Amino acid sequence: MNRILSLPKRHRWIWAALGVLVLWVALSIATERFSLHSISGVARSASFLALVALGQMFVIATGRGNIDLSVAGIVTLSAFVTVTLADGSNLHLPIALGAALLTGLVVGLINAFMVVRLKIAAMIATLAMGYILATATLMVNRQVRGFETAPALEWLASGRIGDLPVIALVAILAAALAAFLLNATAYGQSLSATGQNIRAAELAGVRTGRTVTISFVISGVSAAFAGALLSANVGGAFLDMGTPYLLQSVGAVVLGGSLIFGGFSTALGTLFGALLLVLIVTTMQIWGLPAGAQDVVQGIVIIAVLAFAGGIGAKRRSAPRRT
Amino acid sequence: MGEVLNMSRQAEPAAAQSPKPAVVSLSDARVTYGPTVAVDGLSLVIRPGEVIGLVGANGAGKSTLMRVLCGAATPETGTLSVADAPVDFDRYGPSEAHVRGVRIVWQELSLCANLTVAENMFVERPDVGASALGWRRPFRRLARESLDAVFPGAEIGVDRAVGDLPIGQRQMVEIARAATAPGLSLLILDEPTSSLDAVRSRQLRDFVRARSAEGLAVIFISHKLGEVLDIASRVFVMRNGRAVMDAPAVEVTPTRLVEAMGGKDAVSATARPPATRGEALAHIGGALTAPLGGDITLHAGEIVGVAGLEGDGQKPLLERLFRARAHDRDVTRNARVAYVSGDRAREGVFPLWPVSANIAIGRIAERAPLSRVSARKERQAAEPFAERLDLDRSRFSSNILELSGGNQQKALAARALASEADILILEDPTRGVDIGTKRAFYEVAREAARRGKLVIWHSTEDAEFAECDRVLVMAAGRITAELTGEEISEERVLATAFAGREAAGDAAGAQRGNLSLALARLALRNAALVGLVIVCAALVWLNPMVASAFGIELLLGPAVALTLIAFAQMFIVGGSEIDLGVGAFASLVNVLSATLLVSSPVLGVGALLAGLAGYGLMAGIIRLRAVPAIVVTLGASFVWYGLGYSLQPSPGGAAPEWLRAITQWSITGVPTPLVLILVFTLIASLLHRSRLGTVLRGFGSSPLALERSGWSPLRYSIIRYVIAGAFAGAGGLVITAMNGASDINAGSGYTLLAVAAVVLGGCRLLGGFISPVGVAAGAVTLSLIGALLGALGVSTDFNAAVQGLLMISVLGLRALVEREDT
Repeated sequence: MNRILSLPKRHRWIWAALGVLVLWVALSIATERFSLHSISGVARSASFLALVALGQMFVIATGRGNIDLSVAGIVTLSAFVTVTLADGSNLHLPIALGAALLTGLVVGLINAFMVVRLKIAAMIATLAMGYILATATLMVNRQVRGFETAPALEWLASGRIGDLPVIALVAILAAALAAFLLNATAYGQSLSATGQNIRAAELAGVRTGRTVTISFVISGVSAAFAGALLSANVGGAFLDMGTPYLLQSVGAVVLGGSLIFGGFSTALGTLFGALLLVLIVTTMQIWGLPAGAQDVVQGIVIIAVLAFAGGIGAKRRSAPRRT
Repeated sequence: MGEVLNMSRQAEPAAAQSPKPAVVSLSDARVTYGPTVAVDGLSLVIRPGEVIGLVGANGAGKSTLMRVLCGAATPETGTLSVADAPVDFDRYGPSEAHVRGVRIVWQELSLCANLTVAENMFVERPDVGASALGWRRPFRRLARESLDAVFPGAEIGVDRAVGDLPIGQRQMVEIARAATAPGLSLLILDEPTSSLDAVRSRQLRDFVRARSAEGLAVIFISHKLGEVLDIASRVFVMRNGRAVMDAPAVEVTPTRLVEAMGGKDAVSATARPPATRGEALAHIGGALTAPLGGDITLHAGEIVGVAGLEGDGQKPLLERLFRARAHDRDVTRNARVAYVSGDRAREGVFPLWPVSANIAIGRIAERAPLSRVSARKERQAAEPFAERLDLDRSRFSSNILELSGGNQQKALAARALASEADILILEDPTRGVDIGTKRAFYEVAREAARRGKLVIWHSTEDAEFAECDRVLVMAAGRITAELTGEEISEERVLATAFAGREAAGDAAGAQRGNLSLALARLALRNAALVGLVIVCAALVWLNPMVASAFGIELLLGPAVALTLIAFAQMFIVGGSEIDLGVGAFASLVNVLSATLLVSSPVLGVGALLAGLAGYGLMAGIIRLRAVPAIVVTLGASFVWYGLGYSLQPSPGGAAPEWLRAITQWSITGVPTPLVLILVFTLIASLLHRSRLGTVLRGFGSSPLALERSGWSPLRYSIIRYVIAGAFAGAGGLVITAMNGASDINAGSGYTLLAVAAVVLGGCRLLGGFISPVGVAAGAVTLSLIGALLGALGVSTDFNAAVQGLLMISVLGLRALVEREDT
């Protein structure tokens, strides 16, 4: 189903996969400490990141440097909503989860309204949204009575089937769904067209406004879903718990081989990108690198990959002008 | 040069009796774009004092010829010499042409809209004037003198931003800037009078006459034939890239010009049965068809041409037909539409996709978002359409960019046909394609019409209208004539278009002024000041103590650092980018200055300078690798944070004594923070208004114009980022001084607040409009909001939400006002 994209671009995810493989092998050989247990720890962290990054990928795909900066705020707010409403019981879980996802949906819709209707640049609109979410989180925070998570959600977030973390299955399913949307639906094709050239897409009959709206909604809902699961994983909610996901979600998308200027996205790549990013962090931890240095390396890796891949994207971008 | 002339009766200008060296001498130049020959073995000698009137139908090759002369295009063959010195085309660009005295006034204006008239003079001629303070004065005088020289009595404020001037005045500035350049020997005016009223147009011609008497050579390109014959000493007519007439102006009449432009050997229309009209699919009426005295209905089964001189409203008409918005009563349609643009690169191809996907999107776009798409099925569905256009099926899997322009265009046409829309809009679809593809296109259009589609065809090649059943001729934005059947011929189309132009009169730059909109704009531009006044008034009203020196000192303390960091963001926004790392960088400097700078001043200073170098490096990466600034700066924010955290994981340290001395002095009755904010604002304003700041602003709005004038984008990008880094760093130092300690998290909140301050301050994210005073007011307003909410008894939890909503509403309102403007 990927055939609609030509061959070399189809394999962009391979770089991230190779990176994962190399680091994995290196770690296994170099240190005893990298046990099976730490692998599943890596897989779990990567899965939460993958959920947010898969959503971010849809916004980045809309092109023109669009990025959803509100994902961090959504993750945090949704965690608070889930904890507050579920109140430690499976009975209230559907309502809690529903409310959390609804939060993501509404935020996505408002983001899209600002970008599509008011024509505010995506990064500013989502930045401003981040402010509002911060206040909303503080409001919900006041309602929080206890930090008990619903057992069913806890199973999803930190349970395991055999040796496999359930959350990894969830992430894989989400990636499969994203791949299906991107490659096998009219929306996916419209999204790629919009990201490559929004004017050409409009003239080709693509309803670009609707396409962009769907993308922001997907991003909002997946961040909300990740937030709900995260609350179950850490057993509660705290302010700023979503903050790391801002850069890391963009980083996973870029590492995975999706184009930062939009038009081409790979769900499999984003999955590997998230895994690679978490592996890099884990490697640094195993090496005993201090926390500060870990941040520095993360930042440099993302800029370096972007500078490398950006050149490719830029070349493609300027190509039509030469004809 | 005689061999290419149909009319070789060459006029020897009077000046040639004592032969002066030619100003410009071009011989046997040939320029091709793919299969299209734009200039075909053309020769042209221009002598001092000559005024050449250059005319030709759309697409005759005039613009390409001019691009060769002024270094913007390189011919495959031929030679060019300027002032008898041969030109090496490899080194002949626009700036080299300027040096040699050849200048062109482009049809698309090349002024920086956000700079004043005087500043635009500076961008072009930075060498004039010396003193740092009051550097504008010589440029003001220069601007005034230039304008007076060409357009005496034109009262154009030289301190007004060019973007605020009506289009006619903008054109006057553009002309005056080029026409009065020192050392000018050839001035090319491309449609200079299109936005000038009759008086200004006459003044320009008087100026040209006076300067040509002094020996200046001028090429005057215009569709207004009366003007051309009035001003030109020699008339040069082009057609299909060749010269078809080169004669003294006195021997030429408008009728002969039109004849020469239109020629007889046009593509002969093949005989075909008259169109059978089906049901009405589209309707054009109202002001658009007022000159015709009635509405126009377009039917299924017709090919309708939309003709006119370039820029007479054809493209907007097609756009309106395509959109057919509900509130547009003049242009309506009742069937689905597909649009094929001849501007393939910008409006057609999807560069990442193979041919098959490029075709299939036409079918897919119509479907519900979740409907399944199978590449194989889409490919099969696309095949018949591609076949009809003779598009090789074996190329289906190739990337679309690997195809020739003609085949790309075929794929786009196949996309439109595949969409099964009932109306096909073809906007100059055969631009730059070979004759074989053109024929295929005519055939496809005809077949589509036979199948009951309505084909609306706009072309810049008037000969193509022979393929149409009806031709609507536009002039000055309206449909002035409708030609049918036998009436349709290249000459007739051309003559009608010219007649329409004359009838429509000179397009005077009459600008509608709307007072309430202007007020709204003013309020929005100064949103921060308005906000500041309201917040301050509210605070004083709630608690009069606030107005005391002590009160101000207390309230404004936190605003100093924010103001500085917001200035950093402002300079980045001036380049149409955003820095998501300013807060983290300020925090890093906060930590550095409270630790390293205290324990080892030399190392500390070195580290601070390295930080600035880091900012320059970011600019280099962003510019050279063409990656979005937002992600690079976001990544950098982790680097800044990580470095700071490594230096000092938990809050601590102490401020260096000198730093405290700078910021913590106190004079009774004078609130220190207020003074600091004013001083920093003054510094930012001076920088913003300096020559350097002017160039940076120019890059923000019109990088191309700056590059054309010889400024380096990379260099100024790096300078911009280093300036931003310096302001953010100063913000970090202020945090250290104010808190007397450091915390790597101290500045984290500032990144978002800085963006908000910049937005409130009336800066534009696109276009380089920035205002230091506005940003300072925005920063202070934002820091006071917390105090105001406190005074009102509202929880500070709402702080962030109020700030966010403020940002959204300012931007939303601005979008509304701008929509009204267009």
